Amino acid sequence: MSAVEVRNAVKRYGALAALDEVTLAVPEGEFFGLLGPSGSGKTTLLRAIAGFVVPDSGEIRIDGQRIEGVPVHKRGIGMVFQNYALFPHLSVFDNVAFGLSVRGVPAGEIRSRVAEALRLVRLSGLEERRPRQLSGGQQQRVALARALVTRPKVLLLDEPLGALDKRLRQEMQVELKLIQRTVGITTIFVTHDQEEALTLSDRIAILSEGRLVQVGPPAEVYERPATRFAAEFLGEANLFAGRAEAGALRTPSGLAIFSALPLPPGREAILAVRPEKIQLADLAMRAPDGANRIEGRILRSIYSGSSIAYRVEVPGQELTVFEQNRAARAREEGAAVALTWAPEHSIPVAP
Amino acid sequence: MAPLAFRTVLALVLLFLYLPLAVMAVMAFNQSPLYALPMVFDTIWFERLAQNERLIGAGLNSILIALANTVIATALGTMAALAFQRYTFRGSSLLQILLLPPITIPWLIIGTAMLVLFFWTGIGRGLHAILLGHVALSLPYVIVVVGARLRSFGVSLEEAAATLGAGPWTTFRRVTLPVIAPGVVAAALFAFAVSFDQFVISYFLAPPGVSTLPVEIYSAIRKGFTPEINAISTVIILVSMGLMLAVARLYRFGGER
Amino acid sequence: MTVGAVPAARAAPVARAGRERGLAAAGLIGPAYLWLLLTIFLPLSAMLLFSFLTVAPFGAREAEFTLKHYAAFFQKEFYRTLTWRSLRLGFDVTFWCVLIGYPTALALARHVPGRWREALFLLIVLPFWSNALVRVFSWTMVLRGGGLIDQAAQAVWPEAPSLGILFTYPAIVVGLVHSFLPYMILTCYLSLQAIEPSLEEAALSLGASPLTSFRRVTLPLSLPGMLVGVVLIFVPVIGSFMEPRILGGPEGIMLGTVIEDQFTVVFNWPLGAALSYILLAIVLLLIALAAPILGRPLAAASGR
Repeated sequence: MSAVEVRNAVKRYGALAALDEVTLAVPEGEFFGLLGPSGSGKTTLLRAIAGFVVPDSGEIRIDGQRIEGVPVHKRGIGMVFQNYALFPHLSVFDNVAFGLSVRGVPAGEIRSRVAEALRLVRLSGLEERRPRQLSGGQQQRVALARALVTRPKVLLLDEPLGALDKRLRQEMQVELKLIQRTVGITTIFVTHDQEEALTLSDRIAILSEGRLVQVGPPAEVYERPATRFAAEFLGEANLFAGRAEAGALRTPSGLAIFSALPLPPGREAILAVRPEKIQLADLAMRAPDGANRIEGRILRSIYSGSSIAYRVEVPGQELTVFEQNRAARAREEGAAVALTWAPEHSIPVAP
Repeated sequence: MAPLAFRTVLALVLLFLYLPLAVMAVMAFNQSPLYALPMVFDTIWFERLAQNERLIGAGLNSILIALANTVIATALGTMAALAFQRYTFRGSSLLQILLLPPITIPWLIIGTAMLVLFFWTGIGRGLHAILLGHVALSLPYVIVVVGARLRSFGVSLEEAAATLGAGPWTTFRRVTLPVIAPGVVAAALFAFAVSFDQFVISYFLAPPGVSTLPVEIYSAIRKGFTPEINAISTVIILVSMGLMLAVARLYRFGGER
Repeated sequence: MTVGAVPAARAAPVARAGRERGLAAAGLIGPAYLWLLLTIFLPLSAMLLFSFLTVAPFGAREAEFTLKHYAAFFQKEFYRTLTWRSLRLGFDVTFWCVLIGYPTALALARHVPGRWREALFLLIVLPFWSNALVRVFSWTMVLRGGGLIDQAAQAVWPEAPSLGILFTYPAIVVGLVHSFLPYMILTCYLSLQAIEPSLEEAALSLGASPLTSFRRVTLPLSLPGMLVGVVLIFVPVIGSFMEPRILGGPEGIMLGTVIEDQFTVVFNWPLGAALSYILLAIVLLLIALAAPILGRPLAAASGR
């Protein structure tokens, strides 16, 4: 049985569909990421599970029970808000104790469970502080402890690390994952940061315009994007559009691109190739048998430390290629190069 | 302009604002009923004030109305502010625009209009009518002040309380109310000040024989004034300013904290 | 029409939630707005009705529909003069408030260091929230014959005659400026505060002199705040009656005092109602003219 299940959820705001027939199931204990640009419906979906948004139609189940009519406070969820929503008039202890206290848990048990939760997020000793006396990272931990202490069935995180600076965010990613593993709680989180989604999630769902575009483990979604949107939103992608002919895709400008995956013969198709899968070489270099090889000219190079991104002009379009910064210096602009990649890196994507 | 010029401007403005009040207060301690100078210090006018039953009665009326007004306007205004914050509904912005007339239309017009309706429908004049009018003038202030406080915290605190298992009433009691408390107290003090200082509305709605402090002072001034008026005015100024200092401490004009 | 049982059942809790929310919102908002209806909007309607009646319909008196009160306003020169006097008072008071208030706000916002600024700001707005009547009364102490101003003049020149400023037009203007100046300082100060200091720095870095930077950056950006102040002062001043009465004496006949008389002395309520509505029409016209400017700060204040 899935911990959280959404079936055919629809939510419209006027003509705009924030959720358009969304169906997904999150099994017990999974760390599930909702990724999409702003306005894609990811926050609406999270808030529908929490109960702040009532879907126009469709079902939402937590632990197999339908909860559309159940008010938020009876759903047994834990949630960490984007700006933490810590109660400014309460101490750290009282913030964490809030959920237990409204449930009428005895004072002694509250004390021990709050202490345990604060130990889990490594904040023991700060019980008496007020939220505004804490750093951003500490506030984030209090919010997490407060959401976990009631032992909810599911933990919902709304852009949990969005307000932190980059270094702190990376630290908290590791810690968040560790805590989630320790507690073993089913967790659904929303982010617009693709790196965060890839790092944290057991599975990722990509949303666009209220629709679920693709669901799968991070590597699968990255390596085998299902649609052009998925390919371009998660990481970067070079796209070749053309007509499929005899195991290759032929672009209008005459390039023949081979793919290891089946192409619909005689029809229009799009192939996506990740920039880091393409190798640059001198024109004299021959490609291995069966590999793609096209020739082009370097337009620009963009230096970013560990790697260099090149914009390369090939017949009919421009491509992006990432190369590890191994050579003594970057390739010269204007130089003619050969681009090669294995056919299994040409991924057919839906338009 | 040089900083010196700016400082001079500020000093002159403060002098302009406070000098007459200071003169009035000093004259309250002048023995001569004709404000003759040089002045002879005396507290006789405050003693007379303590025996003036008309003024004391009017003062008690003012306090009574201000207190009742504070309770009613704060309660109703806070409720309305909560609704504006929490629900989106058709007509919400129209209702908010309707808060402007009580603030922007001259009190003369509002006061005479109330007189017309109240007299016509049998509600009549009197302390109850004055209270009706004061609450109407206070409501927009309460809604704006409490609303500003509510907005500065947004809805996420209440949502967080709901995810932690608190029902609507528990959320209101344990999260919303403590968080907006400074705003509500500031609004209540505002409401008290609006009512305590209100003259125009009370003037039109006070029947002969019943009055509030400002109404009583107005008729006394028109009859020809005595240092007794200075004495009571000094008391009023001190009370009003004390109230507003309390508001400023709680609210700050930027609405932070 | 056939409706499937399943979708209907699905929709039910949603519809119920919607209705409950609607009831809750109405329950919270209802009392405040019923109160405003009874005390603001119904009275204004009743007064509009009265302004078209021959006599106030009390007791056995028969009231008939008439336009004569409005006609009187346009026919009798007295009322036109009166209106002009009130408008001129509004212009004069507003003019002095701008002239004194804007530099004060500028001094406060730009030339007073942080901690002092808050205290001074409070000192300036404080009188505004104390009793208006008492503040007007306090000016009689200063302006009357033998009052502070006369004393000061005689201290300089012993033979100086009594200036007798009380019960003159300037006395009314002084009292009203005193009453409303804090409003102007407040609105100008708030709009000056909202201007990023970096904008002026940017102007200076682009080669503008401090004066040019003020004229072309600070002043235009603070103008809306000033105009809000202008409207907020002009409107109550043209409707004032207590200040002209106390400080102007016989010189203080304004539209406001005549309206007051209709209700408290002459008891010609329909005429008073018609004059009130003419005043209201002027006020609404002004607010409508200023609405595009007023709208912005109001919208900002309400957070949308």
